[in-house]
Amino acid sequence: MNEQGEILVIHRLLDEQILDSEGKRCGRVDDIELQGSPPRITALLVGEGLYPRRVPKRLRGLARRLAGPERWGANALRVPWERVDRIDATLHLCCKAEELGLGEGDDPERWMVRRLPWN
Amino acid sequence: MKSILKIALGIIAALGGFLDIGDLVFNTQAGALFRYDLLWAVALGTLGIAVYAEMCGRVAAVTGRPVFDVIRMRLGFGPGLVALVASTVVNLLTVAAELGGLAIILQLLFDAEFSLFVVLAAIGLVIVVALLPFGGIERIFGYCGLMMIVFVATAVHQSPDWGEVAHGFIPSLSSSKLYLYFVVGVFAAALMPYEVHFYSSGAVEEGWDKSSLRENRLNAAIGYALGGVLACALVVVSGYLFHPLGVEPGDLGTVALPAQGAYGETGLLLALGGMMFCVGGAAIDSSFSASYNLAQFLGWEWGRYRGPKIAPRFTVSWLIFLFLAMLIVLSGINPVEITEYSVVFAVVALPMTYLPILMIAGDRSFMGEHANGRISTTLGWVYFALIVVLAVAAVPLLLMTNGGGG
Amino acid sequence: MHGRRRPGIAAALVVLGIFLCLFPGCGDLSRDELNRGVESLSALAAQGELIANGVARDATKSTYTRVMAKTLGGEAEHEAEKLADAEPEATVKSERNAAVHVAAELADLFSELQTFPGDEHHGVLVEKHMGEVKEQADAIVARLTGEPAK
Repeated sequence: MNEQGEILVIHRLLDEQILDSEGKRCGRVDDIELQGSPPRITALLVGEGLYPRRVPKRLRGLARRLAGPERWGANALRVPWERVDRIDATLHLCCKAEELGLGEGDDPERWMVRRLPWN
Repeated sequence: MKSILKIALGIIAALGGFLDIGDLVFNTQAGALFRYDLLWAVALGTLGIAVYAEMCGRVAAVTGRPVFDVIRMRLGFGPGLVALVASTVVNLLTVAAELGGLAIILQLLFDAEFSLFVVLAAIGLVIVVALLPFGGIERIFGYCGLMMIVFVATAVHQSPDWGEVAHGFIPSLSSSKLYLYFVVGVFAAALMPYEVHFYSSGAVEEGWDKSSLRENRLNAAIGYALGGVLACALVVVSGYLFHPLGVEPGDLGTVALPAQGAYGETGLLLALGGMMFCVGGAAIDSSFSASYNLAQFLGWEWGRYRGPKIAPRFTVSWLIFLFLAMLIVLSGINPVEITEYSVVFAVVALPMTYLPILMIAGDRSFMGEHANGRISTTLGWVYFALIVVLAVAAVPLLLMTNGGGG
Repeated sequence: MHGRRRPGIAAALVVLGIFLCLFPGCGDLSRDELNRGVESLSALAAQGELIANGVARDATKSTYTRVMAKTLGGEAEHEAEKLADAEPEATVKSERNAAVHVAAELADLFSELQTFPGDEHHGVLVEKHMGEVKEQADAIVARLTGEPAK
């Protein structure tokens, strides 16, 4: 992958909305994991724990205190590149969000939404 | 035939939902202070929102991406976050203003304690949103907002010098800081960003795709244009009645006075009723907008069409925004004052959310054949320049005129 | 140490005193400020006239009248207090007193509307009095703006 292609991919890939195989929104691409030489995308990284990486250096300390430390598996998740199905207007995964631990913030059990009167 | 009816109904809903408390406050004051001289600014703002909304609607229909989805993608995380924080603050102020306005109008109709109506109004809005689907919410508030047509009738009934009124559509600038403040205010009240953010997310809620592009264009061209007529009517009736008397409409109830003068109790009830649905609908639109922006930026599930089970964070954030707005109103700040701040800050934040949409709407790699044509591009960039000028001038003018107090 | 600090404190107090005296409401009520106050009274009276007219014709809703009368009456009272509390410049002293009188009358009229929001007879009277009060206010404005500066 040449440099031009790389830059284009990151432009389209970073901050992209992620949909799982059922069309459920389950986060955005908060960071990208590159490995090897020439660098290849090995995984997408998703989660609030990654936000401090994205802010300017001076604010990083404050952001870290607000977002908490990077806890892999909790607020920072790794989506292997193989799980990506296709990219059009959004990024589509080829599996369900639960399998990767994505979108847990919207888990209805967590919010006890069933208790609400109209459910 | 069915699609024509559907489009017509959509236009009617857009028309009825066009005005909010910012328009009520600023247009009435503009008429009272400057008679018909600011009609051109109302028209300019109306065209602006038509341009902006059409672009947002087109982007949402073609790509399925509403505004804050686009903003994070286009501006990146850092600048996008700044835009999000600014939008959220503005939206929160707006919800508070609309909720407070709704409580005032309820008070004018039913005369009880203001704080009681604030709480009742908030609860009422939650019930409406819980019971109705997205389209139903928009239609109810949109159709009932049509009662505002009583202001157009009042203007005709008053029989002003139409030549003078027409003259007001010719742009004129004055060195008076108060005049310039109202140019910004009237324009900004017409071009409130939450309306456009809501419109673009609403496009996704209603399942718009490329076949909806015609509907989008007609909503903008006809629905908003007619909405502009309503906005102008506010200026005209206020200018005719209040300007010669030197009345300074600082209270929401004063807005309805011309309709009462022309058509008695019926006119008053239509005016207050129309105002109630305009402001109530706007409270829903602006609070939804705050939640849409947050959820879209962070990648959560969102949308009334998803429901609380699939989008619980979106739903809870909406309730929290409404609650916070309620607290702001209950703190005792005059809703009319909150309105003035929300409108001024909205125009300051406007360039941040307008520019990414303008860029995406013109980007062929996203929009394909539906990218901005020459007219849209020109209009889009002209308005961007205009918006930047107003955004820079807004806060200084607010301070120099002591919040429009002169 | 002490001796060196005292003049500093005295100077600060003088500056503070001057600063406080420049604050509105604490200093002299100027002709312009009084003029603005009376103009707002005239505007309130005009609104009151319109509202009372609605009552007189039985062409309005009593809740609307009551709430508007309460709001506007409160504004008139507030203006009355503001004008009464301030120290007027010598040249506008009589106008200030007249303005306070007008504001108080206005507050009374609004209070009447609040008490009898549906009574047409009261509406007719209040409308008439509101008109008179407005004329009084306008007359004060004329005296303030027409009077030659001393």
